[in-house]
Amino acid sequence: MNQVPDHQLFDGKPVVEFRSEHDRRSFLRNALLVGVGATYVASVAGDPRSFLRSSTASAVGSRTGPATSDLDILNYALTLEYLEAGFYERGLAAGLLSGRELALVTPIRDHEVAHVQAVSDTIKALGGTPVEKPKLTFPKATFKNKDEFLALASVFEELGVKAYHGQVPLIESGDILAAAASIAGVESRHAAILADLTGGDPFPRPIEATLPMKAVLKAAMPFIKS
Amino acid sequence: MRIKRSEFVKGRTAVVPPAVAVGALNNRFAWAQAADFENDVDVLNYALTLEYLEAEFYRQGNSAGLLSGKEKQYLDKVQVDEESHVATIRETIMALGGSPVAAPGVDFGDAFSSRENYLTTSHTFENVGVSAYLGAAGFIQDKMILAAAAGIFGVEARHAAIVGNLLGLEPEGGVYMGVTETGLTPTEVLDAVSPFLTGPGGMKDDAAVTL
Repeated sequence: MNQVPDHQLFDGKPVVEFRSEHDRRSFLRNALLVGVGATYVASVAGDPRSFLRSSTASAVGSRTGPATSDLDILNYALTLEYLEAGFYERGLAAGLLSGRELALVTPIRDHEVAHVQAVSDTIKALGGTPVEKPKLTFPKATFKNKDEFLALASVFEELGVKAYHGQVPLIESGDILAAAASIAGVESRHAAILADLTGGDPFPRPIEATLPMKAVLKAAMPFIKS
Repeated sequence: MRIKRSEFVKGRTAVVPPAVAVGALNNRFAWAQAADFENDVDVLNYALTLEYLEAEFYRQGNSAGLLSGKEKQYLDKVQVDEESHVATIRETIMALGGSPVAAPGVDFGDAFSSRENYLTTSHTFENVGVSAYLGAAGFIQDKMILAAAAGIFGVEARHAAIVGNLLGLEPEGGVYMGVTETGLTPTEVLDAVSPFLTGPGGMKDDAAVTL
């Protein structure tokens, strides 16, 4: 498994920026506690936290349960799509963008909203229960400043790309794999455009990088309130 | 001269002059009548052919001195990516005990006559590449090879989006190609790239490639 420092997931670009050492410690402590509660929360069907917590618990390695199922992976993807969709809905509502930037980011929001629907429908079609829409929280500055908004968008897109690619070898069903890949490609387009808009590198490597579920959830958790 | 595609993609062309192998590739019927990929080496050789085409396209295009500044920087990086894909896929094929197909003969016509022609042709190649990988993914048996192919597919999508944006295309339909990516069959992919392939029985003509 990739060893990823908790706060440095991408090439020195912080995914999770803590305001202080105290915040960082609190987050790490919380991440561990989350694992402890897995047995309880797993019984609360539909609670988005139950998915996050149970996944974290298994990823922490305190148990050797069955392999992650396709439904688990889909609910993981759904959580990330909810995060992205909610993020762009707020960001665009804040009216920070104009011109070409607005034109490029508006379809990204529409794609993420459509991905939420598509992944939810797939989970239902498989007889599963989609996680509920999580309550999200973002740093206050995020939607007051265009640069902050786009910078966090870039982080989320790169995280999403790595999350999807990290699951490719784990998905059992060919159909689900094809659906996930067809979404992942769109996330790669988003990631490239946001890198361009923020002065980053749209092509950071010749083959997309991957991240395991545990590392992705650690990065996403600070933005998910409940 | 015709070579059955099943032989072509099995790597037996190692003993066949490259021009002849290209003739096989260019034979629309050989592809159209071909059964699905029989194994992972088949799929990888298919991908390799497209990567050869892209790598050579950027090698020639970037040598033409059409770009500057950020555009040049981006397209130089795209070339490096495609060359890396060629090397990675060749190594993978050999690691599987297969033989990589030879590079096809190519003729990009007037693609390098202007910045706009270059970027427009690049945009076509990249989007065809994205769809080719997605269309072939279902044939890959080995999960690790699938993961690598998916990783290349994602990077082709990045290229396509950025080149579409450099061209100032409409975001939806030019930079992004919808809510999800769309796969293409090998036959559809050949239809798109055949104007650029040369060799015996080749289909090169001046028809514009549209997707």
